[in-house]
Amino acid sequence: MKLKLLSGFLSLIFVSSVFAGEKILPYPIHQHKLDNGLNVVTVPFDSPDLAAFYIVVRVGSRNEVEEGVTGFAHFFEHMMFRGTDKFPKEKYSAILKSTGAAANANTSNDRTVYHMTGNANKLGIMFELEADRFQNLNYSVHGFKTEAGAVKGEYTKNYASPYQQINEKMRDTAFDKHTYKHTTMGFFEDIVDMPNQYDYSRTFFKRFYRPEYCTIVVVGDVTAEKVNKLAEKHFGDWERGDYNTTIPSEPAQKETRTLHLQNGAIPPYMGLNYKGPAFSDKEIDMPALDVLSSIVFSRTSDLYKKLVFEERKLRFLGGGAFDSRDPNLFSIQASFVSKADMQYVKDEIVKALEKVKTAGVDPKILAKTKSNLKYSFAMSIDNPDRIANSLCHYIMLTGDPESLNKLYAFYDKVTVDDVKMVAKKYFVPEGLTIATISEDENGGVK
Amino acid sequence: MKTILLFSLLFFAAGTLTAQDVVELKMPNSNKIVVKLMFRNGSICDPQGKEGLTYTTASMVAQGGAGDMSYSEIQDKLFPWAANYYSTVDKEVSIFTFQVPADFADEFYPILRDVMLKPAFDESDFKRITTNQLNFVEQGIRASSDEEYSKKALEDLLFRGTNYQHMKEGKAASVKAIALDEVKSHYNNFFTKNNLRLGIAGNYTDDFLKRLKKDMAQLSSVKPDLPKPGKANMPNGIEVEIVAKESAFGSAIFTGAPLAMTRADDDFAALMVANSWMGEHRKSYSRLYQKIRQTRSMNYGDYSYIEWYEQGGGNQLPPSGVPRSSNYWSIWIRPVQIAAQLQKQYAELSDIPIGHALFALRMAIREFDLLLKNGMTKEDFEATRTFLRSYIKLYAQSPGAQLGWLMDSKFYGRKNYLKELDGLLAKVTLDEVNKALRTSWQTENMYVTIVTDASEAEPLAKSLKENSDSPMSYSNLVKSGLPKEVLDEDEAVAKYKLNVKSVKIVKSADTFQ
Repeated sequence: MKLKLLSGFLSLIFVSSVFAGEKILPYPIHQHKLDNGLNVVTVPFDSPDLAAFYIVVRVGSRNEVEEGVTGFAHFFEHMMFRGTDKFPKEKYSAILKSTGAAANANTSNDRTVYHMTGNANKLGIMFELEADRFQNLNYSVHGFKTEAGAVKGEYTKNYASPYQQINEKMRDTAFDKHTYKHTTMGFFEDIVDMPNQYDYSRTFFKRFYRPEYCTIVVVGDVTAEKVNKLAEKHFGDWERGDYNTTIPSEPAQKETRTLHLQNGAIPPYMGLNYKGPAFSDKEIDMPALDVLSSIVFSRTSDLYKKLVFEERKLRFLGGGAFDSRDPNLFSIQASFVSKADMQYVKDEIVKALEKVKTAGVDPKILAKTKSNLKYSFAMSIDNPDRIANSLCHYIMLTGDPESLNKLYAFYDKVTVDDVKMVAKKYFVPEGLTIATISEDENGGVK
Repeated sequence: MKTILLFSLLFFAAGTLTAQDVVELKMPNSNKIVVKLMFRNGSICDPQGKEGLTYTTASMVAQGGAGDMSYSEIQDKLFPWAANYYSTVDKEVSIFTFQVPADFADEFYPILRDVMLKPAFDESDFKRITTNQLNFVEQGIRASSDEEYSKKALEDLLFRGTNYQHMKEGKAASVKAIALDEVKSHYNNFFTKNNLRLGIAGNYTDDFLKRLKKDMAQLSSVKPDLPKPGKANMPNGIEVEIVAKESAFGSAIFTGAPLAMTRADDDFAALMVANSWMGEHRKSYSRLYQKIRQTRSMNYGDYSYIEWYEQGGGNQLPPSGVPRSSNYWSIWIRPVQIAAQLQKQYAELSDIPIGHALFALRMAIREFDLLLKNGMTKEDFEATRTFLRSYIKLYAQSPGAQLGWLMDSKFYGRKNYLKELDGLLAKVTLDEVNKALRTSWQTENMYVTIVTDASEAEPLAKSLKENSDSPMSYSNLVKSGLPKEVLDEDEAVAKYKLNVKSVKIVKSADTFQ
């Protein structure tokens, strides 16, 4: 027994020493800012002939402050494939095809990302294509109206999932003023009205598709020198803009809110959504919440073991904070075997969180959790796409890819007291929105 | 001394896995090790009435206790290392994938060994696993994604009456009928050293691999009685099954027909060129996408396939681990609008009888007919071949994906499929492509599955049965800007006759029985 303990202890020491003093990303991040404000990030990586070329635009559904244009950042992402004078959409498609790249785009609350992964020798063409559409996008009114149908098609496919439906309702309930109130897809009535918003789309392009909103990220078989030269050549003349969105602040929530979706086609579901912080690589709150979510809700947590493995009340339990530019939610989700257990499980979750507030967490588990966070990340970055995606995530949050390294360095500093502090600060009834799905007319969870 | 000698003899008798059963991919710069154990079994090995048994067995191994540890204790042990493992089951293979940082390889190894050799088959794990499995077949497949639902419904039609028909998770009645003892015996009979292919990638030592080979030779020595994989049925004309669901927002469509060739055939590369031009997965420059989505904006995307594509809604690139010897080709038309929705959205469409499903189906089939008639042009052939020769290199970017594709290669009797495919693409000719598409594709006999709202099912079935015209119903906003060639083409599509021979409406609750 003693031997086992000793070996466990030794391995923990080893765990914490592996990354000691090192950045979590074991490759240097080269940054070069053009005069117009466009940041260019290069990470050389051993992937012969392969490179991932990403552009992050720090605009998403968060920026949709005006009435009637929810979903527009995402819609605009679609429009970016509708061509320019130099490369009309057919020509754009043909050239893109010739590169043999995997190319696509996606939008979320806080950013839109365009990506191409392919032969590193084709980087010149990729730069040319992207620089042209980012500066000279020019679609017809008819092309604009037509594309709106594809967005509706996307909404239609997503809507089949009740989890998407409850998410849309939950955000609408949890937020009053902030634009996180609506999903990235937008409200359906705004999607149906999109074809009428051509003029707004031009305004949107002029506002946000500007160098100061964008960061280029290239990872793979490249050098910073080559990437920077290409960036200067193709994006150097891009004109800086001057638009800033004023995002409405969310007023403090005063009491628990509830919402319910009547649907007996899926297992009963409950989401407990607490108002949480914005991401920061300077404040301890988010790193501490990440640690807390792993300790309380991961498969190795006492709560998970009890509710999923031992009592088999739940099929699934999970929880975590959304990394966002503005304060967003910490969501705990549970999928049930029986709807009769909803209140019991809610009470057990609250009990587990209350225990953290008073008793803190086991320091040994805290150390293991920090190790898990780091090794999980280290194992995940095994190709250029994954590294580029990670960098884009932190660029979205702070504008600086180094936030990735800063966050993981911060995890090391999280103490038991920090975890207690964030539990007390965020897991309060007045910050909670309870979302439920069951065959019943009402959720009935208090 | 005698005891030792006897022990050694036993050891040698047990032997080790032979070299041809092991795929090795050493990467000294990697920070991790990936191990894959691919068993040649899959859901086709499920006994009748026990459909889902292979899936349950693999889940019990990968999500249950092992040796003297409970599943929960194993998770605790792995947690600080972030090591993990999971199982996947398809029609003809089951795969266990283990991933560990190289730093912890030696500590992790005994867990890997016990998981594979000493699964606990605990009653409590069994209840948890089968409850989730049953939930998927009873509810999950019907309620999560209509696209995935229509895809599985198509397989159910194509392979009806064969061991390829049922979902790998089984059916409601069969999952309920599975007993723990049957899981144990299935493990013993179908997860054996005789149907195992071992794969390893990353930064592993020779000693690690040696132990792995030696220990996996301790798996059951039963020679599995593998059934012959069922072949896809040839439909008689176009046979349609409409799945009527409450509160569906659109019509999700899949259509397909048997295909004789697989990756094992050299001609597959030729057909791949034609398919990529017609409907490369998630690519805006393929024909179906341009016609249905880009020009008419009817949905989110439209693609075609010449082999199974796992989780098309989530994967941008084809994943490994789903090799199959029975094949079919298919068209995926993502959900299009139903009449009830269009009527609500646009006053000018208030009297339309059906939504866009029939028009979209006609358009897709007509595009295949045009290709069958005209063949690919030299220009399209060259552009698509050039594209594919770069694109296939993206399939295997990570150590795990590289290993997976190499292991799949062996399933098809190939050494390194992606490399060989590049060679085949390099030398394929336009004539060979046009010949391959004409011998492989036809549109007279196809199965079609449409998951749609209950309100759309009857009128859609009527239109299909009567083969009546299905004019495209645009909103005025879009229609006013459409060029004449699009409107002309729409008219041709609306009148395009399909060889419809049967149309059936089934209630969602009655599917997969």
